[in-house]
Amino acid sequence: MTVTERQQRAYVDAQAADARVNVELETDEGMTLNIGPQHPATHGTLRVVAKLDGEQVVWADVVAGYMHRGYEKLAEVRTFPQVTTLVNRIDWLGSFANEVPFILAAEQLMEIEAPARARHIRTILFEMARVANITLFLGDLGAQLGAVTPVFYAFRDREHVLDQIEAVTGGRFHPNFDRIGGLKDDLPKGWIADTKAVMERIRSFCDQVEELLFGNEIFEARTRGVGVVPAEVALSYGLTGASIRGSGVDWDLRRDGGVIGLAHGDVDWKVWTHPDGDCFARCWVRLQETREATKIVDQLCDGLPGGPIMAKVPRIIKVPEGEAYVETENPLGAMGYYVVSRGDLGPFRVKIRSASFSNVSILPWLLRGVYVPDIITILASLYFILGDIDR
Amino acid sequence: MGLVESGKLPKPLTSLLNTARKYSLWAYQWGLACCAIEMGAAFASPRYDVMRLGVIPLPASPRQADVVVISGTVTDKMVPAIKRLYEQMADPKYVISMGACTNCGGPYWDSYSVTKGVDQVVPVDVYIPGCPPRPEALLEGIVLLQQRIGREDPAERWRGDPLVVQ
Amino acid sequence: MSDTTTGDVATEAQEEAPEVDEVRQGWLGTLTEALGDAVVGSHVAPGRGLWVRVSRDSWFDAAEAAKDLLGCTLFDFLSAIDWMPSPWGRYEDSSVDVGIKPFDPSASFATGVAGGDTRFQVFCHLANVRGRDGQRADVIFKADLPDDDLRVRSLVPLFGGANWHERECWEMFGITFDGHPGLRHLYLPGEFEGYPLRKDFPLLARLVKPWPGIVDVEPMPGEPAAAEDAEGGANGDGEQS
Repeated sequence: MTVTERQQRAYVDAQAADARVNVELETDEGMTLNIGPQHPATHGTLRVVAKLDGEQVVWADVVAGYMHRGYEKLAEVRTFPQVTTLVNRIDWLGSFANEVPFILAAEQLMEIEAPARARHIRTILFEMARVANITLFLGDLGAQLGAVTPVFYAFRDREHVLDQIEAVTGGRFHPNFDRIGGLKDDLPKGWIADTKAVMERIRSFCDQVEELLFGNEIFEARTRGVGVVPAEVALSYGLTGASIRGSGVDWDLRRDGGVIGLAHGDVDWKVWTHPDGDCFARCWVRLQETREATKIVDQLCDGLPGGPIMAKVPRIIKVPEGEAYVETENPLGAMGYYVVSRGDLGPFRVKIRSASFSNVSILPWLLRGVYVPDIITILASLYFILGDIDR
Repeated sequence: MGLVESGKLPKPLTSLLNTARKYSLWAYQWGLACCAIEMGAAFASPRYDVMRLGVIPLPASPRQADVVVISGTVTDKMVPAIKRLYEQMADPKYVISMGACTNCGGPYWDSYSVTKGVDQVVPVDVYIPGCPPRPEALLEGIVLLQQRIGREDPAERWRGDPLVVQ
Repeated sequence: MSDTTTGDVATEAQEEAPEVDEVRQGWLGTLTEALGDAVVGSHVAPGRGLWVRVSRDSWFDAAEAAKDLLGCTLFDFLSAIDWMPSPWGRYEDSSVDVGIKPFDPSASFATGVAGGDTRFQVFCHLANVRGRDGQRADVIFKADLPDDDLRVRSLVPLFGGANWHERECWEMFGITFDGHPGLRHLYLPGEFEGYPLRKDFPLLARLVKPWPGIVDVEPMPGEPAAAEDAEGGANGDGEQS
């Protein structure tokens, strides 16, 4: 049987592709395992290359960059509103939260303060982005460890949060709603009552997940004592968010960051920490944070001030010269934008400090000596979004 | 020469074959970025359930998949992996390109590291526009693909000729 | 000890005497005491941030001083700024695009807060999240790099997290970090040529097909037709006054 030309070409292409993707599989010193870049457990296109000795990891490396889209370069050729649209897509689950630090940095440079109503609604949407993000995490957490059911609960209840975000902003994800000086539009009628009902639903979802997952002895056996990150190591690697609060560090930018432009100071809420530093601690902290976020939204909905939704802003926005750095407590951790402006329509340089970049940089250190199934558990508990790592 | 490739099968039989194929698609989700979440909502959420169209998600490996839904930005670094996994799929296979990034580069059209459209790498059957497209849009794309499969000539596909995407 | 506070929008905008941020001045004082001549510039934005520009050779010492004296154990980020304006502007082909400063190669480019003389500046942000004496210090360090010798000492011995940040800085700007365990590509494929975030690295897609800017200007609802410039971005602004 003759080999057709098409088959020959396909073979050559496959060899070439192999040469770029392949890593030696078996040597005398042990096996090299390649996880990803397409793998259900890696939340996207992350590649972990691990040298194994039996079932234990001897050395691990993380190859990122499969989702690198060049945000910082693209931001230099876009105007400020255009960058706001683009920046939604960094952490694509909690999209509104990505816009906020950028807009706050631009507001700082322009010396504009958003009116109180805008600040409150911004915070409501910010916390709802957190809820949307972490509910998916909780569902996916089960899937990583082998329990498929929580995924469906998560998607079902998350749909309601996305409905509410869509009712205000017009988009389920990537709302592109924040503007320098306020927000694009006001809330529709009846939104507040609906949101409170949805938050109640999310609280019952959190209870369900707690029962299904956190009370499960298999879950506990697989996550307790696994992937322990001591607080000092975590700080030197720049871990933030729930990953560091799970190691006992009491730090939350909503309370300690001095961020002007969000309304967390006006409501009563609690920062959750857990001293253990293992996978269970991080997951548990996130669960509590989701509940806390729903309470914040409830309180803000109750005390929403009236007034304009947008400050007086010129039609064509030219941000004066200066540099500003604003960091906020995003769902994944601390996200910050260092905006350098030269008095132009668009930024001169934007440095995006994304939480998952630092969270994942600890993996080569953390994965030494763990067993192969624990790799997945650790990846799940550190919780990153690829767009956040690779920008 | 098999019965199907020779083209001698009568029309009702080929249309029965096509109908069976189009309502039993095993979809490999290649979820790269934000569109993956909408794809996940379409596949896993009870509201936009895709199984009612006969499409089952999560094949154990690409070798068992019929259709691949590529959703999310394709970067130059990722291209060898996409090509490799596409070639691992068994014929007859289809590609749905979901979202602006896979269609044409999307909002990152000017980036130095983004491939301007996955159709530079694999032949695409259905393009679904949107950023991200709603799950209903993905369902519509799947329905369009099913209509396309229904109109196909199995003899051509079985013969292994180069694909011509109309 | 040189202690220059460059005026910035935050302080100039007030009619009365600018407010003095005692806390940040205190941190600045601690650092200048420890580093002496190494501090070549600084800027305090009251209530916002502290910038300290150090000489290139004392980059490591500055970070060590922040870590030991101010308790800044959180390594936030490290990156660089290329102060040269892009030769292609925003690659736009439009006549309605106002406000872009045309590229003037003869002009020396202005550099930002805390001053600066060179094209490349490396900067990092360190923070104290645990608090010491009731304060949570955070400081942004900057260092100028001479054009012909883009090297600086690596912070990896102090902070493990500097590893990835320095790798990214190297591949995006071409800055070498002495003492880094292994500078190799983080984001870009191995065969990539060039340093993307440098301003003279062109975005080829935009050179091939320039973005036309606003092509038709629609009046806002309720306004008479405004035929002038309206570069508000492709998605419209919806700003309400």
